[in-house]
Amino acid sequence: MSSTNLIQLSGKAFVLGDHINTDLHCSSKYLPGKDALYVSKIAFEQASPGFANRVHELGGGILVAGENFGINSSREQATHILLLMNIRVIIAKSFGRQFFRNAINNGIAVLECDTSQILEGEDLAIDFYAGTVVSSSGLRLQAKPLPREIMKIVELGGLIPFLQKHPDWSFPV
Amino acid sequence: MGSTISEKILAKHSSQEQVQAGDVVVCAVDYAMMTDTRSVNAIQMIGKLGSKSLSFAGQTAMVMDHYSPPPNEEAAQIHTTMRAFAKETGTKLYDIGEGICHQVLPEGGHLTCGDLTVGTDTHSVTYGAFNAFGTGIEGTDVSAVMASGKIWLRVPETIRVELKGPLQAGVWAKDLTLFMLGKFGAEGLNYKAIEYVGSGVAAMDIDDRMTLCNHAAELGAKAAILEADEKTLQWLQAHGAKPPQPVKADQDAVYVQSIVVDTAQLAPQVARKHQVDDIVSAHEVTHQKIQFALIGTCTNGRLDDIRQAAAILKGRQLAPGVRMIVTPASRKIYLDALREGLIEILTMAGASFEAAGCGTCVGITNHLVPGNGDTVISTANRNFKGRLTNDRAEIWLGSAATVAASALTGYITDPRTVKGGEWRSIK
Repeated sequence: MSSTNLIQLSGKAFVLGDHINTDLHCSSKYLPGKDALYVSKIAFEQASPGFANRVHELGGGILVAGENFGINSSREQATHILLLMNIRVIIAKSFGRQFFRNAINNGIAVLECDTSQILEGEDLAIDFYAGTVVSSSGLRLQAKPLPREIMKIVELGGLIPFLQKHPDWSFPV
Repeated sequence: MGSTISEKILAKHSSQEQVQAGDVVVCAVDYAMMTDTRSVNAIQMIGKLGSKSLSFAGQTAMVMDHYSPPPNEEAAQIHTTMRAFAKETGTKLYDIGEGICHQVLPEGGHLTCGDLTVGTDTHSVTYGAFNAFGTGIEGTDVSAVMASGKIWLRVPETIRVELKGPLQAGVWAKDLTLFMLGKFGAEGLNYKAIEYVGSGVAAMDIDDRMTLCNHAAELGAKAAILEADEKTLQWLQAHGAKPPQPVKADQDAVYVQSIVVDTAQLAPQVARKHQVDDIVSAHEVTHQKIQFALIGTCTNGRLDDIRQAAAILKGRQLAPGVRMIVTPASRKIYLDALREGLIEILTMAGASFEAAGCGTCVGITNHLVPGNGDTVISTANRNFKGRLTNDRAEIWLGSAATVAASALTGYITDPRTVKGGEWRSIK
């Protein structure tokens, strides 16, 4: 990733489809005894063969998904695995409710927009405060930006680091 | 512009005049719950937050239900850590066999009308049956709640569902929730709150109302809330809850969608194998053999569910080749069933009872594993492939009456076609 500043960020797109269940594809819920590091090397294999390898080879990037990314019970472990893959940003048409919370609480930025035209491997530039996504193939997408309060939690690396700094929930806007 | 029940509860807990769907608010929580699958992780994070007093411990319960009883040393050690933490901090502890979190919280008087109650389990939506905003959260959230008493929440859009008419005899809230899943699809109401209203709700007893709200988790709902009535208030008082502050939606509340379901016409429903939203009327399923019948879980392990099964199986035997396991949702329910003679009826019929807990639902206790090629009929809330650890078994879902009728005949059966299948709870 060429930038870690979450106000504006750019990186390569790694594309998955609709209804990706992170319990199935990005946790050890059904792989008892396997740790997060192991899962990070095979995550999403059934949904997109070779996915984790491609992400690791390029040192991380932006995960692009379709509808309901992270549906179902969505263990928080999925976000730890994504961070091990150096994925700190996910854009999708929509998110499973629990995954959406988990991502923010663990310092992963999430943005909802129409991702259907984004191509695997292209470069994306995202402005979180404006909610814009621009792709190297010429797409320009507008998303509803996250509230600034939520972006603060993400920028500080998640809810625990946020509360370590702001134990009274004061939002430094 | 008026407010929905969710908007009112979240406005009050964030000390705002009014909030609207889509707003992000920081709310003071009334009560928090964590299960044994999340506790160790949460305890570690609470340590990181370095909160000295943990004054919220008195408003938090830890429940040992997923590993009840623990299947291995690792799970047993999780419980040991939980017991030590509870003793040290004053957190309320529910030990193995006491029951499933969503049953022991209301039974223990930990919530009331108008409350904001959060728990580390998606089925925390159950608390809406008591006119509380209940929602599922994760370990990080619950750690933050324990350390600060607060949580951030996005105010959900609400769908209003009017249930028209009481359910027929032999038809239960489970049939209705399965019907809703067929109509909207799994996760079809992702992120939304559901307000169930109407004569169909009024006619339901508390056990069925808990099922109605509980199973909204499979619809992806953030909350499922009912208005309070006399039944609600009586139940809460009987269980030692705080004085209720019932919340009603405004006449001009804004809903994202409003629908009417003709509940009086509904027939028993089942979810076919592997998919919680592949729904069909039970009477349309013919010649589907079953080998394993399960009654229990936070969705349908309550007294009325056990009564439904006993009404059908009294003085009879399970069909040859069928096994049946019942796990009451709490020890209190087990005792009530014992006193009513239901345990004897079901045991004589060939059923076995397991300790109260989540064992009937998810195979992590390893004492409920179906064989290869087995077909399971269960009152659980989820049936995806491998849910009971064997992905070569099939799981179908139905009400306790449907499960008992199917265990009696050996085939998936509409309970209204067997004697006792039209049993109703005494009003």
